[in-house]
Amino acid sequence: MQGASWLIALMKDPQLAATVPEQDWVLIIRLLRKQQLLARYSYLFRQVAVFDALPAYARHHLQNAEILARKQFHQVEFEASELVTLLAPLKVTPLFLKGAAYSLALGASIGQGRTYSDIDILVPKEAITSVEQRLALHGYFGEPMTPYDQHYYRQWTHEIPPVRHHSRGTIIDIHHNLVPPVSGRAPDISHFLTHLVTTEQGYQVLALPAMTLHSIIHLLFNEEFKNGFRDLTDLHLLFLQFKQPAQWDALFELATATGFSTELFLACRYCRSILATGLPDDFYQRLERQHGATKNQAILDFAFKRVLAPRHPVTDNWQDKLADTLCWLRGHWLKMPVPILLWHLIVKSSRGLLVAVLGKSYFEPERR
Amino acid sequence: MSSQQFLLLPPFTFEVRTDIPLVADNLKRLYGNRLVDMVSYPDYFVSVQKAEGIRRFYRPQARFFADQQEPFQPLQQQQAYAMLEWGMNWCIATHEMQYVIIHAAVLAKDNKAILFPAPPGSGKSTLTTWLAFHGWRLLSDEMALIQPHSRTVIPFVRPICLKNNSITLAKQWFPDATYSTVASDTHKGDVIHLSPPESSWQHNKEPAEIVGVVFPNYRSDTEMDIYQLDKTQSFMQLAQNAFNYGVIGHDGFATLCQLIDRVAGFEIFYNDLALVAEFLQQELIDAGG
Repeated sequence: MQGASWLIALMKDPQLAATVPEQDWVLIIRLLRKQQLLARYSYLFRQVAVFDALPAYARHHLQNAEILARKQFHQVEFEASELVTLLAPLKVTPLFLKGAAYSLALGASIGQGRTYSDIDILVPKEAITSVEQRLALHGYFGEPMTPYDQHYYRQWTHEIPPVRHHSRGTIIDIHHNLVPPVSGRAPDISHFLTHLVTTEQGYQVLALPAMTLHSIIHLLFNEEFKNGFRDLTDLHLLFLQFKQPAQWDALFELATATGFSTELFLACRYCRSILATGLPDDFYQRLERQHGATKNQAILDFAFKRVLAPRHPVTDNWQDKLADTLCWLRGHWLKMPVPILLWHLIVKSSRGLLVAVLGKSYFEPERR
Repeated sequence: MSSQQFLLLPPFTFEVRTDIPLVADNLKRLYGNRLVDMVSYPDYFVSVQKAEGIRRFYRPQARFFADQQEPFQPLQQQQAYAMLEWGMNWCIATHEMQYVIIHAAVLAKDNKAILFPAPPGSGKSTLTTWLAFHGWRLLSDEMALIQPHSRTVIPFVRPICLKNNSITLAKQWFPDATYSTVASDTHKGDVIHLSPPESSWQHNKEPAEIVGVVFPNYRSDTEMDIYQLDKTQSFMQLAQNAFNYGVIGHDGFATLCQLIDRVAGFEIFYNDLALVAEFLQQELIDAGG
């Protein structure tokens, strides 16, 4: 088995770690580090008590990542409570999304070992300026950014440029929707707001089906798949948390109501085909009846099976790169109306041209 | 174009790639037979490459990568070798969490080690160089790797990084030693790397027991002033110089506490290195352990 196949096999059955030839761990560790999955796999190996049987090389790197992830796991609760306290006077309760929500709500399963570089919150759109100002007063400032990017964020996306705490370095992404309005696909956010739960410690997150749908949208309604496999394992582990038929129904209904049932279908399709995720038959068949017969399915399968696999430049072939390009085009196509897309591509490609000529650092804004 | 080799730097192994001859030459010169063509278990995959585009020709730049990550802004190409050394430090400082890592030089005699934690500009590397070439064993110039819950420090022998005036001094004192080319105008000023004596390389797998912590301060007008630090002062100074103290939490705190409890801490102001060596020998090596 090659490194990438091992990553897939080990996610399905972590017990297999005991059978990995020692020499294969070099590439496995390298791929896991690239996908930011070292800590997640470390916990998986511990859960099935195979960790101690691994070679010293593997244990060394897994444990390093685990220590870093554990620190982040504790840090996020501190950061979350800071945010809740800071925003309370505005009568705004932040809704924690993605990585931070996994840590706060699903610590024992998906949160453990999940690392992320920023904390995502959602606040009401009308409150976003006051939230940004209040956070600035308490030391969270925007990073240097080109005027085009700054404009693009504020005009067309579902978030404002990220802010960073001046001393702790924590980066907060402040959203008012889950999808960029420019795409024309931004859902009425109130659909999601009927699926809120509060964690034991009092943090507001989405309930499991809505959290899963957001994770799906984030992965598949997108043009970049740098951590495609990591995000697929998020979905795999989220699906494993579904215990009651009502949760599957809620997922299906929310996806339909918000217009993301295609993405739900694709997510289920590739979780099943890549990671053999167990999904209820009737649930999957219903999705397949609705979406499975499109004539582009073969192209989608070609592309997604590659962008969602554990990837690394040292193992990539031309088909992988073609898949990246297809998904990049598809993602942009989905997210932007044609005139804006064209303008965006002109700016970005002329930028690309200038970068090629002048070197990458030409456009890096000066650091403060 | 890009040559791929490996550096055996216990306790770690690096795969190094570069398409810059300056880097390849310096590597060969400073690391000697620690640079090999094949290893089974590389820990980190680093590379220093020429920046693309017009920067290939006009004010050429170099970029450092730790596998696919690029932690630094590009630098002038004449600084590429220093960039590689700093990049390797970055790999260890950001990934290695199973040692308590202090920003400190470590030198030993008879496997009794002294930690010299210090911010840049304190004269630490000049002192390190002098001691390393006067019969002390260099364990590290930048990073002390301490086994948690012990006084044991693991060597991580690498070239010594000298800056500005200390370059001239070192070359006067030890003209036959092996130096890299100069990286001029870096954020630390002019920088050169110096390969430690062969004896330090040869014992780069032998741990040592810490017997003292000394905070050096070079003062041109002070021959030798010594202040014994109380435990709180020593602890705070160590914690401030720890790379991963915040991440590893309890183990880091406990290790530093135990260390400070059992070894003496001094702050020294000096301009006479021979006096410093004498003090270290009498006060810490002969008495300690």
